[in-house]
This record gives sequence, C-alpha cells and structure tokens, in this order.
Amino acid sequence: MKITIKLVGAFRVGRFKEEVREYPPSTCVREVVEDLRISNFLLGSVLINDVHAGGDSMLHDGDRLCLLPFMDGG
Amino acid sequence: MKHFTSDPAAEPSSVVYSRCIVDLKTGIMTDEDVPCRNLEDVLGGFGRSFQILAERTIRQAYCDENPLIVNTGLLTGSSAMTGMRTYFSGYSPIKESKKGLPAAMWSAGSGNFGAKFKWTGLDELIFENRSPKPVYALIREAAEGPVVELKPADHLLGLSTHEKMMVLQKEYGSNAHFAAIGQAGEQWETVYMGAVALSTDNQLKSGEDKMRFAGRGGMGSLMGYKNLLALVAQSSDKIKPLTPEVKKVNINVVKGGGSARLQPISRGGGGGTWAAYDVLQVFHAVPVNNFRPQGNDLPEKLFRENVEPQFVIKSEACFRCGITCHNNVHEKNEDGSAGRFLAKFDYEPLNLLSTNLGIHDARLATSLIHLCDNYGMDSISLGVTISYVLSYNERHPEQPLLNRARYGEYDKIRELVEQAGQGKLPEIGRGSKRLSESTGETSYAYHVKGLELPAYQPETNPGYAWAIAGGHMSMGTYGLLTREGKSDMESWVEGITRTKLQIVGFDMIGLCKFFDITKGICTQMVVECIKSEFNMDVTAESLAAAVRRAFLRGLALELRQGYEKDEFALPAEVWEHPNPNIKLPNITSPEFTAELQKRVWEVFEPELEGLLPDVT
Repeated sequence: MKITIKLVGAFRVGRFKEEVREYPPSTCVREVVEDLRISNFLLGSVLINDVHAGGDSMLHDGDRLCLLPFMDGG
Repeated sequence: MKHFTSDPAAEPSSVVYSRCIVDLKTGIMTDEDVPCRNLEDVLGGFGRSFQILAERTIRQAYCDENPLIVNTGLLTGSSAMTGMRTYFSGYSPIKESKKGLPAAMWSAGSGNFGAKFKWTGLDELIFENRSPKPVYALIREAAEGPVVELKPADHLLGLSTHEKMMVLQKEYGSNAHFAAIGQAGEQWETVYMGAVALSTDNQLKSGEDKMRFAGRGGMGSLMGYKNLLALVAQSSDKIKPLTPEVKKVNINVVKGGGSARLQPISRGGGGGTWAAYDVLQVFHAVPVNNFRPQGNDLPEKLFRENVEPQFVIKSEACFRCGITCHNNVHEKNEDGSAGRFLAKFDYEPLNLLSTNLGIHDARLATSLIHLCDNYGMDSISLGVTISYVLSYNERHPEQPLLNRARYGEYDKIRELVEQAGQGKLPEIGRGSKRLSESTGETSYAYHVKGLELPAYQPETNPGYAWAIAGGHMSMGTYGLLTREGKSDMESWVEGITRTKLQIVGFDMIGLCKFFDITKGICTQMVVECIKSEFNMDVTAESLAAAVRRAFLRGLALELRQGYEKDEFALPAEVWEHPNPNIKLPNITSPEFTAELQKRVWEVFEPELEGLLPDVT
C-alpha cells in the first residue's frame, strides 16, 4: 500500500519533508516510525488523515501520515 | 535549610529554612530560622511564598505592605539537573481582578543566580516597604551565616538589565551572580510588566546579554516600586559530588524522554522550544496578528530551517545543565563563524514579538527581543499588548491608537517597544486588560484574568481559565488538544482538575520544567533526588498532594482577590468569532465552555475550604 508521509520539524533533518512510500498491508504507525529511525523520545503526535492517532494505529492504502515532534514549553 | 527529620511530609516543622526580612525603609535586617508548616513549605518556591502572601490583605500592588519574596526551591543549587530556579513572588501590578484587586503572582527564572543565592546559606529573602533611595541588595556568605546588605544603587539607574549586571560584575567578580531590573522596572508607575533578569555563566564570561528571565506578573516593576534595582548573590560554588542515584537521574533527564525534544538538533534532539512553530503550524495554530492565524504559510518564514542559513544559531545551556535548550542567534561572519550575538529565540518571545505582530523577518525579530530583554519587560505581556494595539488600529484606521502602528510595520512597532521600555507609554506598559477597558473593546484583548496569554492559541486551551500564574507555566493543558488530540470533556476535566495542574510543582522545588514536563515532580526521579541530597523520604503521592494544595491555594487566593467565575474565561473573540483556519476540533464553543466550567468548579470548589488563613 502507498502511504504519503509528511515529516515535521527536526524529523526532516537527514530525511525528507514529504514522500510517498510503500509498505505492506496492515503496517501500523509504529513500524513506519521504526523504519524511518525516528526516536520514540522525540515523537510527539501522529496524525492520520489530519486526525490524531497512536503508534498502534493501522494504516491503509492512500493514507496521509504526519509525524510531529514533541512540542513543549515557551 | 536544616532538617531534623527524614519524613518532611509527616514532620514538616522539623525542617527549618533560613529567612532574612529586609525593611527597605529602615534598613533593618531580621534573620529567622522558620519551621516549615507543611510539605509545600519544605518544597519552597511559590508553595511557600503564597502562604506568606495569603496572610496579608493587599488592595493595591504598589503599597508598602506588599512584600517582594525572593526564594528558591528545595533542589535549587543541588546536583539535580536543572536545579537552578529562583522565584519572585508578590501581589502583581499587572494581573488584577475586575474589582481592581491585585492577584498574587510568582515568576521563575534560571541562570546562575539561584544556585549562588542558595549557596550563601539563605533560603528566602523578604523585602518589606520601600527604600527612600535606589539600592541593591548584596547577599553573601560569611562564617557566621548569610549576610544581607543594602548598597546605594544610583550608579545603576537608567541602565539596561545587562548593563547593570556588567557594572556589578566588575565590582563583585566571578563568585557573584545577579538579578536586575531594567529601565522598564524603574518606570514602575507606567510599566506594570517589568521583568527580573537573571545572569548566566555564559553571559558573564562572554559579555553578551544572554540572560534568563523571571518575566511574568511584573515582579520587576514591584522591585522598581521598592527602589530595589538589583540583587547580588556572592558565594563560593558548593557543587557536591554526584551520588550514583542523582547521576542516574541526571542521565535520564538529559538522554531520556523528558528533555530530548529540547536538545539541539545536532545532538538528535528537537531543537528547543522554537520547534513549537513547526508543530503548531500543522494545525494552523501559530499565533498570527493578535492570535488570528490565517491558514497560510506565513509562520513558516520563522521556521528554524528558514532562519538557519542566514545566522549562526548556538545551542547553549544554563549553568551545568545538560539540556542545552537555549537557541542563541548570532550574525554569521564571512567564514561562517559566529559574529555578534543578536537575541535568543525561545518560542514565546519569538512568536509574540514577531509573527503575532505581523513581522516575519528573523533579523527584525532579534531586534525587538533584544530591546525587550534589555529594557527588562515580560515579552509575553509586551508582545500581546502591542498586538492589541495593532488589532485596534486595523479596525479603526480613521482613529488609531498611539503612533498608528499596523501589523508588520517594524519601525513603528519598535518605537512602541522603546517608548514602553522607557516608561513613556502607560497604554502599553500597563497591559492589555487596562488598555482594552479604556477603549471599550475588550473581546480581542488576549489576556485571561488580567495576564496576557502565551503563544498557544486559546482555541486550543480552555485550561487557561484556571491557570493561577502564567498561562502555560501554571496549567499544563496547552498541549492537550494539539499534542495529545484530546477534545472530549472527560479529558479536559481530568487534565485541568488533576493531572495538568501538577506542572506548578516545578515552581516549588527549584527544578526547571524541562526536567520532566509531562510528568511533573511527583515521580520516582524526584523522590530519589530528595533522598540522595537530603536523606529525606517522600513519596510521589505526598509530593502530588502538596503540589495540589499549593495550586488550590493559588486558586482560593484569586477568589479572595475578587475574581468572579465569569473572569475564568477566554477572550470573547474566541467564541464570538471562531477562527475557521485552525484545523482542530472546536473545544471553546459556548456549550463546551459552560459544561467545562460546571464540571471543573464542581471538583475545585469543595477543596478550597480552609486553605487560606482568616485575614479579616
């Protein structure tokens, strides 16, 4: 299945801003995060088709996955 | 502090802290060893100072009876990572109820001053009354214990925060650190948002104005009212060898989840608080033009990736802190090396002194932040009051306020900052609540309970209504929708009334919030630090209970200072004109708000009984 992955902020460094990638069916978010070697410590939010989701959320063909770093403070 | 118990929760009176009361009118110093009343006293910070403030009836901030309380937390100056905080408390010149009574406030800052203060042997300093002449206070260690002296400060008048510190450094050398107000605090009559600057090791070694700030609530103006221009803390460093337990905690703080996102990108971190721009922009929730995001890509001009090519950005840290969250922007020399220091890019001052004013140029942003820091004003209150002016002027082009400044007009905005800092513009200096009441147009003044909002859209945070001090420092709900995706009533009631108020614990114990911002201080890490440093046993539950009591005491104090329930509300524009550009569920509709108010007060109100002394 094809997933459009958008990376935000520091996640783009050494990777990409937005890319379409192929994954096997029933891939979950966690597996994509691992595939991209993004630190769980830095992962703040996950959006699937603009809706908050979690690491165990399953992806489907055509989904837009956005990975956001943890945001805090001022 | 001395302690004669290993169980401070059960036997707080066996923990005794060292206080000096300075009567600025007479110069008389009174030293006391004060037994703690409860665990909040033991932890320190506002947990203690609000109990002192609660004992007084204060009807205006600028009065002799309003004390300025300077204290530290239990872990300030310890070997726990981020243990550097100093707290400034008093009744606030800027934050007031609709009845016109000042709110009790505290403000916190890092840098080196806190540790040096603690290492003199003093835990708390209370300044009473006003000095007839400008003075600074010297707190120094001595064989007989900490000594406090008042010194003439005429030579400091009119100097910026940084300049004051440079003068004092020449006199006191490398064993001293400083807290100082700028010209803004000196002009307390027309500037209610004066900040207190705190010196850093980096600043004193480099000569660059890399201060940290206790900005919120006008404590710098309160210092100015008292004619107290600066504090000097002079002591030898008392850095204890790390125990294995604290070492483990510190490693966890630096490398674990707690602060990873604040570490420099070059070290695999998230790059500091500046990174909030990128995250919030996904939702179009970066404040633009007085908190009205437009759904476009304007905020991206100040994304780090777009700023970095033009400047050298140094990731730097407070004294002995491994988190390295400061993003200090320097000119880039031809050879790529760092040139002149321009300003720090922390999220709040950056957004509220640029994007939210319609300015999208990093160099112009550095200039405004630099001015604000050196005049010594709270960047949040300053930026949001100016954005109110710009919003008013956009609505009333035929009869604008002040110098007719509009969004994006850097020269005119700069003029407003300079004149406010010099005390020439009380319309700005006295904050957005008063200004908007004078114009009669209050719906788009972005304050809650008289204190300007930080750079998180209120549409994303109805929890602001119950913040008892700065909006995001005293109620940790600002990420509940954007970061955690929670838009249901149960999550918001639980967050406001139980979990997210725990953030205030950091402003008791002396640790920076980046120690572990999501979990607060009621964690095994903190339990181990207290055990290791003091051989005192506390539980996470007793810490949580003490933090909760301190928070509720602050809420009770607000009600006593005349706040009505309708003041626990967001700016009216939020629900009168919902912003369709923000891509998040609506959790600030009148219906949601009414139900949230009912549910939150149902929890809080019964717990407020008996928290305050009877002062009638």
